[in-house]
Amino acid sequence: MTTLESRLRVEGIACRVEARDRLAILVPDAGQPVVLRGEIRQRVLAVAREEGFTHVTLDTRGGSAALPRD
Amino acid sequence: MAPNGFATPDHGIEEGSVEIAAPAREKERRLADWLGGRRSVVVGYSGGVDSTYLAVVAREVLGRDRVLAVLGRSVSVPSDQVRDAIALLAERDVPLTVVETGEVADPRYAANPVNRCYFCKTGLWSVLGPMAQSSGFEVVIDGTNADDLGEYRPGGAAGREHGVESPLAIVGLRKDEVRDLSRARGLRTWSQPASPCLASRIPYGTAVTATRLAEVERAEAGLRALGIDGNLRVRHHGDLARIELDARILDAWLDPDRMARMARVCQAAGFERVTVDLAGFRSGSLNILDGVVAA
Repeated sequence: MTTLESRLRVEGIACRVEARDRLAILVPDAGQPVVLRGEIRQRVLAVAREEGFTHVTLDTRGGSAALPRD
Repeated sequence: MAPNGFATPDHGIEEGSVEIAAPAREKERRLADWLGGRRSVVVGYSGGVDSTYLAVVAREVLGRDRVLAVLGRSVSVPSDQVRDAIALLAERDVPLTVVETGEVADPRYAANPVNRCYFCKTGLWSVLGPMAQSSGFEVVIDGTNADDLGEYRPGGAAGREHGVESPLAIVGLRKDEVRDLSRARGLRTWSQPASPCLASRIPYGTAVTATRLAEVERAEAGLRALGIDGNLRVRHHGDLARIELDARILDAWLDPDRMARMARVCQAAGFERVTVDLAGFRSGSLNILDGVVAA
């Protein structure tokens, strides 16, 4: 588990973090919808910056309301 | 006549309906003087805000027979952008030639180094220079504006090496001023988001291929069809699409149902995984990711 992932889970954001260099990909836990808007989104960005990421992107798969893949 | 001395353009929008700051008007007058001092010009034209404005002003100042706009067409330019660009100059009676450019076939460009734009522009200006010369045009000009000079733009070096002049930058016109002056002329490009070529969506060092460019083009066109407006980029990270949306609409599109619709569009375009960037659109986003800074 990355430090960013640990910190996000402390903030109540249930997702796995994949790191590709300075890009963080947030993959919501299965069945755990993640809605990152407004202040929560800004908070995630701030934490990610502190962890050395320049970009944070949210995967549309997984727990984000069980998105269909068709 | 318009206050700057140009013939009033026939665009159906009242000329005085947009308030133009005095410095911008003065710069436009100097632009007209600069253009008027040339016998004839070839305009490197993309259909974007700057080169459209420049081509239209050149047409007004020099007349139809002393201006030729040249548009480069290739797989790195969205086809709807090319179509719109052609239509726009036809409406303004600006002579236009479309040339096919083959930058993707140039291995130096396709390798996608940080100075990729240099090779693209080198190819373009290598065509336009001789074309201008053989047709008797005095100078080749482009739409580089004063703000561009402070950014990392390796394509600019290619222009300088080929003697291309940048009158907007020469007279100090900034982007916001070009937008205001475009609006005053009734040019619909005035509010158009910047639209760099599709290769700008591919991280440096990842090869630019026709397949990748087509994936980006299909994805962005599909997202536009969903109703997404303003700045939009689909960044190509191999199997993964990273969608950058205008900050103004980002929160609204982080809705699960809308994310599912975006995912379907991008998957249909060829991406296995689809993500939405939480910071939204950033100009030069891949420069930031790759740690590229202005020289």
